[in-house]
Amino acid sequence: MNYVGFVNQELKKALKDKKGVIVFGQNVGTGSCVSGLSRGIEKETGCRVLNTQNSENTLVGAGFGMMRNGVSSIYIMKQLDFLLLGIDQLVNTYNYIRVFKPSASFTILAVVVDNGYQGMQSSLNNLADFCSIARIPGYAITNRRDAEKIIGAHLVSPGFRIIGLSQRLFGRELIDFEQVISCEADGGWLQYTDGADVTIACFNFSIPQGRGLIEALKDKGKEASLFSINSSSPVEWSPIIANACQTGAIVVIDDIKSVNSPSVDLVARARGEEKIRTITHITRDFSSLDWLRPNADELVLNNKNIIHQALK
Amino acid sequence: MSEKAANDLLMVRLGQLVVNERYKNGDFKVPIHLALGHEAIAVAVSQTMEPEDQLVLSHRNIHYNLARSGSVKEEIDEYLLKPEGAGGGWLGSMNLSRKSEGVAYASSILGNNLPVASGMALANKTREKESVVIVVTGDGAMEEGAFYESLTFMKTFGLRVIVIVEDNGWSLASRIHERRCEIDLNQLAKAFGIRHDTMEGNDIARYIETLRDIREWTMDKNEPVIVHVLLTTLGHWTMKTEDYPEGKFINYHAGPAKTVNIGDGPVIENSEADPVFVLKSRLDETEFDKLVKNQLQNLSGELP
Repeated sequence: MNYVGFVNQELKKALKDKKGVIVFGQNVGTGSCVSGLSRGIEKETGCRVLNTQNSENTLVGAGFGMMRNGVSSIYIMKQLDFLLLGIDQLVNTYNYIRVFKPSASFTILAVVVDNGYQGMQSSLNNLADFCSIARIPGYAITNRRDAEKIIGAHLVSPGFRIIGLSQRLFGRELIDFEQVISCEADGGWLQYTDGADVTIACFNFSIPQGRGLIEALKDKGKEASLFSINSSSPVEWSPIIANACQTGAIVVIDDIKSVNSPSVDLVARARGEEKIRTITHITRDFSSLDWLRPNADELVLNNKNIIHQALK
Repeated sequence: MSEKAANDLLMVRLGQLVVNERYKNGDFKVPIHLALGHEAIAVAVSQTMEPEDQLVLSHRNIHYNLARSGSVKEEIDEYLLKPEGAGGGWLGSMNLSRKSEGVAYASSILGNNLPVASGMALANKTREKESVVIVVTGDGAMEEGAFYESLTFMKTFGLRVIVIVEDNGWSLASRIHERRCEIDLNQLAKAFGIRHDTMEGNDIARYIETLRDIREWTMDKNEPVIVHVLLTTLGHWTMKTEDYPEGKFINYHAGPAKTVNIGDGPVIENSEADPVFVLKSRLDETEFDKLVKNQLQNLSGELP
């Protein structure tokens, strides 16, 4: 099963008994149903699916309006960039609504345009940019385990949040892990492997790179602890720091293009720990404007160098 | 005209005059947009609302909040950010709403409340509620994209929304012709296939009658309506500078209305632009004075 197929399946599972929920957005009920993301929701869950106009400001505001009147909804958004047109609602309306602690749910499910060769619009690949403006809860989904956790816990629960999906991962085989060793209660982070040599923390949608690094380490006879950081805001880092204190080495992988990343917070925290001998913070190269050109748009790691630096 | 309508109109005017005096005295830290001259439409809307109806307001909302609650004290306490204020001290002025009185939302941002009203009306439709959402906007806010987006949304989904456009011809210190082309709201409504009505003259009895007809129509047709209300925001002043030695007319926008004094009585301007003047002209002088006296007594009872 591929990534989008699994997310679609999880959405339908989470919405099974939620007949009062409205699922809305552009193309959610026609054509490809947002590349298959919303396919079958109306038929298989009984939720009402509303195909809408192209008016992001109004659509975000309408979600809050429904929430104000006790109706839960999910706004499926083909591109995270479109949410730029709804920023007023994300800040001013959300700040009003949250004061009254609504019992209804409003979720924006947005697809991050990171699939390559999209040009300048793909410079915005970071949920944290939106989440930070009003301290909005935000979660990125990268694999089977975090999809189950985040969709199950947050898709239809009181309050508001943004859930991000990676367009790059849409058609790819679903990433899976044998087990979840531990996780933050809200799905802010999940740990998939436990190793004695290196701690790896993957931000945004960089879990494929983290998995690749684990394989490269195995070739060297080394074992790593792997974490995905799904929250768009800094979370309680203590379990990850504790793990890094045991391994003595932390590699933070972050494919975010913005300057606003929670990975900076984790790295700062790691720097205060004497037991962590090496800290490797992998980010994108912004030394020229090349990152704005249409390109493959995938963070490529030099695993050999990273392993050398981490284990020195 | 009903006695209640007349009393409410005077209460909204006198309540604002009390707030203005406290404002001039420097009592409030929150910015307040008075709505002197807007009382007739606010009272008419309030008297048209049925128990399940919801009102969605903008930054200039004092007239509607007073008309719905009848409490000047709760309004003032909110402006003082007291826990006993209308919003518990959380909302201040520009976001002031009162759920229990049907004021469901208020926003400080131009055009922001139209999308929210759209969603509320869609929720009401989903839950099969027999109610109308009344959203108040203005000639400045209708310049925002949200106005056009929301009309599309309301019309597409057949929502019971009455869009009140309070048109005072100004946005901050700019007249319409100083900032944009003319927009024929009637033609615009036609383009959307939306019913359009115009109200002017501040005759509160006629306003109530027209709004009741509009409410009945939107309930029956499941369609939005645009109501264009032509009015004047009272409290202007004259600015004298080197560029304007003779003085430049400045329309009231926000802050204390320094040229308006409660000691001068409830009428601010002897013209149709002032709803209280219109009220006075419909009554004999003794009757008007009696109503004013009663309202002043009520106010002094509430605000010892």
